[in-house]
Amino acid sequence: MSEFEKEEKLKAQLEDKFGGAISDMIIQRKDRVWFEIKAEQLVELMNFMKTGMGFNRVSTITGVDEGEKLGAFYHLTDENGIVTVRAKTPRTDPHLPTITGVFPGAEPYERELADMFGIKIDGLKPGRRYPLPDDFPTDQYPLRKDWKVGDAYPEEKTSPATEAK
Amino acid sequence: MKIKDKLILWSRLKSPWLLHFNSGACNGCDIEVVDALTPRYDLERFGVVLKSTPRHADILVISGPVTRQQVKRLKRIYDQMPAPKFVMAVGACACSGGVFDGCYSVVSGVDKVLPVSIYIPGCPARPEAILDGAVKLLGALEASSK
Amino acid sequence: MTKMTIPLGPQHPALKEPVNFSLVLEGEQITGSTVNLGYNHRGIEKAAESRTYLQDIYLLERVCGICSHSHTTCYLTCVEEIAKAEVPERAKAIRTIVAELERIHSHLLWLGIAGYEMGFETLFMYSWRDREQVLDCLELVSGNRVHYAMNTIGGVRRDITPEQKTEILRRVSILEERTKYYIKLGTEEATVLARTQNVGLLPHDVAMNLGTIGPTGRASGIKCDVRKHEPYLLYGKLDFKEITHDTNDVFGRLVVRVLELVESYKIIRQVLNYLPDGPIAVKVPAKIGPGEATNRYEAPRGEDIHYVKANGTDKPERVKVRAPTMANYVAVPYMLNSGYLADAPMTIAAIDPCMSCTDRAMVYDTKKNKVRIYGWDDLRKLGIEHYKKRGVDFSKL
Repeated sequence: MSEFEKEEKLKAQLEDKFGGAISDMIIQRKDRVWFEIKAEQLVELMNFMKTGMGFNRVSTITGVDEGEKLGAFYHLTDENGIVTVRAKTPRTDPHLPTITGVFPGAEPYERELADMFGIKIDGLKPGRRYPLPDDFPTDQYPLRKDWKVGDAYPEEKTSPATEAK
Repeated sequence: MKIKDKLILWSRLKSPWLLHFNSGACNGCDIEVVDALTPRYDLERFGVVLKSTPRHADILVISGPVTRQQVKRLKRIYDQMPAPKFVMAVGACACSGGVFDGCYSVVSGVDKVLPVSIYIPGCPARPEAILDGAVKLLGALEASSK
Repeated sequence: MTKMTIPLGPQHPALKEPVNFSLVLEGEQITGSTVNLGYNHRGIEKAAESRTYLQDIYLLERVCGICSHSHTTCYLTCVEEIAKAEVPERAKAIRTIVAELERIHSHLLWLGIAGYEMGFETLFMYSWRDREQVLDCLELVSGNRVHYAMNTIGGVRRDITPEQKTEILRRVSILEERTKYYIKLGTEEATVLARTQNVGLLPHDVAMNLGTIGPTGRASGIKCDVRKHEPYLLYGKLDFKEITHDTNDVFGRLVVRVLELVESYKIIRQVLNYLPDGPIAVKVPAKIGPGEATNRYEAPRGEDIHYVKANGTDKPERVKVRAPTMANYVAVPYMLNSGYLADAPMTIAAIDPCMSCTDRAMVYDTKKNKVRIYGWDDLRKLGIEHYKKRGVDFSKL
């Protein structure tokens, strides 16, 4: 597959450095590489990708509910495409380390993971919740598959329309 | 009606002042409301002015399905307006929730929070429709005051 | 020097969504700030999972009214990739034309808002009047001024006729003439320069670290135009420049946007002249997947990235949308720091926030224990007055 030279090089570099912690690496097509890393080595990987491989930003972090595990996909982008790093954590006690030490711009995406999926981000500095409203219950996570619309506000209390003058 | 009251009514009808509030909209209706001020549609020749504080406004123009975070703030702004005050719901989202009807973070439609005087449908509502709605509202006021 | 904390909350007289900035002031200078979002959260990603792929197009269009085509095209690129559908050339060309028309309308809109924030209301009226030309083109082609709904899975819904093509070319020529005026204004007019130069500084290395994108990033010298680095639609075949600037301030952002307008006109002409024959859509089955894909797109505000996961049914498993302003607003606290309160509206407007909303700024004077309320409009007037005292007066223009 010599048409994916750049992707192959990326793959080799990562496997060289992280060996067994990386699994399931695929070159989906040109400019797209996907792999999984163990959650404990996430920050080290992010550091390596920034300083050693030149990826300058995490464009976004997608949270995914995969049943037994909750996944967080970190999409790193640079001029050469998107590399997606998957980190999985068990649903019963979801934890992930913060990467804001390496990529400060990732803060809002990590807050979103915490609010919408209930994944605790260790090391994230305390702050206002995002994106859910202040009066949303703190133990409900909308983007999990077992959450239904209507779970949050069971008795809909909205003021009835009063007579218009 | 006394002369003083007639004068006040005339000035209210001939020069309504609007306050625009975005209650979680996608911006489509908002840019059409602002567009109504620009040279092609020019609301200001009808005496309509877009104000920035509720204390000066006659009509509250709301766009967007009301997100839950905005409900309190919307009510507060409505309370700060002096009577008589009217509410104009612009766009499909403000009328009934539009595309977002049923979403968990949205109270579909302004009329669940405030009494609405006129609904202007459209996604987004065209500036001509907004203008037409404002004129119809004024016409109804004039008729009801007689 | 008393330290005061003011919240700039959500309610703005001139459009935009709600956002809350908390500013710490020492006298007139801003020494710290934080950003709070969430006023515009509507639960779109959850809703997308319970609608079909086709219905999701209309839902995602309404993520943002100003860049609606960006969101649908990016989403459909992912879906078509998973479904292994080959979009025909003509459809790609039509998507490119609408994309560039959208970019033009968005940049002219921004120019008007920037003028309004500066106090230069005539610029606001001029640029929005010119913007009507673009909205007419879009209405001609799609039937609506905003939310064009041109896309469908596998291509586009409407074709461009030769009469429409002539009309678009005519209007683009008018706009090119007007843009020359805006370039002159932006680069030579002393009052505009006084309000934009050295305001909202964001040095190159800080911008890189925070992941700034779009015209905001390009004004700090970062090359981040997705159309050049990962060409999608027809951009790989077209001749246009990536505009960057090196002044790191609001002036740079103005220059980048105005020059991008010129590039957009070039692109539209090239694509209209190239418009190949052929079908405008391919049929794609309702059930898609399984598979996943991510794709990016250069929206008027920067890089828009989507992720779609399909599971073989007619509804997506997961749709993730990251709009460009989310990446840029993280840089706003840095830009506001060590600036003046009078420059705050201009700095915030310069990232072209696709969410707006400033409610009320509450100034709490700790010494006197008094509270003063500033609205965004008051802050804007404060900025205009502050500069008028220094000789920057737009009423003479």
